[in-house]
Amino acid sequence: MSTLELPSPKLERWRWADLPALQRAAESPRGTAPDLDAALLPLDGPRLVFVDGAYDAERSAPGPVTVGRRAWTSEHPLARFGQLEGWALDLGQEAVTDPIQIVHLGSGGDNHLRGFIALAADAAASVVETFVGSGWANRQTRIELARGARLMRSVRLIQADGFVSIRDEVDVGEAASYAATFLGAGGMGSRIDGELVVSGTDAYAEMGGALLTRGDQRQECAVTVRHAAERGTSHQTWRAVAADQSAASLAARVDVARGAQKTDGEQSLRGILLQRTATVNLKPELEIFADDVKCAHGATVGELDNRALFYLQSRGVPRPRAKALLTRAFVADSLDRIGQEVVREAFVADADRWLEAAL
Amino acid sequence: MLRIENLHAEIDGKPILKGLTLTVSAGEVHAIMGPNGAGKSTLGYVLGGRPGYEVTEGSVTFAGEDLLEMEADARAAAGLFLGFQYPVEIPGVSNVQFLREALNAQRKARDEKPLSGGEFLKLARAQADALSMDAEMLKRPVNVGFSGGEKKRNEMVQMGILDPKLAILDETDSGLDIDALRIVGDGINRIMRAPDKAVILITHYQRLLDYVKPDVVHVLADGRIVRTGGAELALELEREGYAQVAA
Repeated sequence: MSTLELPSPKLERWRWADLPALQRAAESPRGTAPDLDAALLPLDGPRLVFVDGAYDAERSAPGPVTVGRRAWTSEHPLARFGQLEGWALDLGQEAVTDPIQIVHLGSGGDNHLRGFIALAADAAASVVETFVGSGWANRQTRIELARGARLMRSVRLIQADGFVSIRDEVDVGEAASYAATFLGAGGMGSRIDGELVVSGTDAYAEMGGALLTRGDQRQECAVTVRHAAERGTSHQTWRAVAADQSAASLAARVDVARGAQKTDGEQSLRGILLQRTATVNLKPELEIFADDVKCAHGATVGELDNRALFYLQSRGVPRPRAKALLTRAFVADSLDRIGQEVVREAFVADADRWLEAAL
Repeated sequence: MLRIENLHAEIDGKPILKGLTLTVSAGEVHAIMGPNGAGKSTLGYVLGGRPGYEVTEGSVTFAGEDLLEMEADARAAAGLFLGFQYPVEIPGVSNVQFLREALNAQRKARDEKPLSGGEFLKLARAQADALSMDAEMLKRPVNVGFSGGEKKRNEMVQMGILDPKLAILDETDSGLDIDALRIVGDGINRIMRAPDKAVILITHYQRLLDYVKPDVVHVLADGRIVRTGGAELALELEREGYAQVAA
């Protein structure tokens, strides 16, 4: 993989991407895959395990998910690597009540996998993905939601090192609902890249989460929501916490097409620097071609509130713990949207572990 | 209990306290009164250990220890409580979580066993009840959306839970209506009127002193204590104004 053809950092959409870290991860040697148990959430539903991108049938219980070749194409520059191997969840008019759990164990080197989720009208599902280990995990996921379908997606990036790149292409149909939450709380670099198209009327789309960086780590999200139909609602709530010399970057864009009246689009991008040597980049963008829309956006970067720190400390909370409490509170509203309590608590616990280590 | 000797302190190079000397013994309530800008709040913050307040001269001893050498949280664990004039709002952190964390951190620093969730809730509910605060408010984020009076009452609930040896209460009466003033006054008496405890009430007005009778009243002007007397001094100040008395 020494001659990876990667996007140029001169391209605006790739200017904050840590492509050298991706390259290093791709060139890292394969080793021993990490322990599965430590990465598993206590969920009873279907489970898929991939080791360096290869399906581990023995340790999986795929339920309605199938594994094999999926011939869907993506124009995304990172979609040209690997074969068209992947998993697919193709649901008719049914609801899978238990979350489907997908665990990606990486031992080093590069691995590539496609995901495909199609929910028929009124189908509902929840998918939780976990990335652990090392190496470059490269994922593209295509999601199609028919009328009234509901998908909850939660992804946690807790690889010890290496790089995780995610590309989601989502089509949200009429009155369908898509809610995705990402947590980057490991030692890896990351790029979370998403394109959500609100193609049906009265649809709901949400993509958000928290990126926590320390050391010289770099993580970023680059998400675009395109409103192509009337009365759509979208939320992008992202939080970044950066320590040491690290950098966390949030780029979120809302496009409202000419006919997409009564669109309600909201972006909230906020960052906190735990040290002044750290960097948070924020880039909220709005492009609106309809005249009857409501689009709110907020973008702020700051440090922890010194008055609040002193208030907590004056009551006996030691300073590092006071910082952890305030940072946790800052991150919390980006993880609140996760529906299942077990999953939400696991994400919050991962964020807590990161904070305990970073502060 | 508390001995302040010739205390000089400044903010951003500007001297605020200019040789303040004060001794508070166990079992006493002291009122510190004075005009705006005299340094009353600065005194509270310096004793509480707020960053940014630089002590340039003098000493403060609390229960035999050098208070100025201690971090703010260590001061709290040693038994000092600072009631804020403007309690801070902390979105995303609930009162219960915050106070349990605070109390158990203090207990840990004193080599005491932590309280369990159940034990803590029982204590917190009892203190909220005693201050006529709806226990539901304990679940809400710290001071977020609280009225001025509710924030002050919450300070007293915190004081009741943390059970300090010395309370320094900065303008705890401001923003309170007459009923709330009585509830807060009763709270101070109930929690802090004990032979082994002491209170410093920092206030601009006499009215709180109708409910919490001070043993000693000091007038603070231009960074120094300029007069000391009994409870009658507060009445004299109310009658004649600071300019007259402090002159």
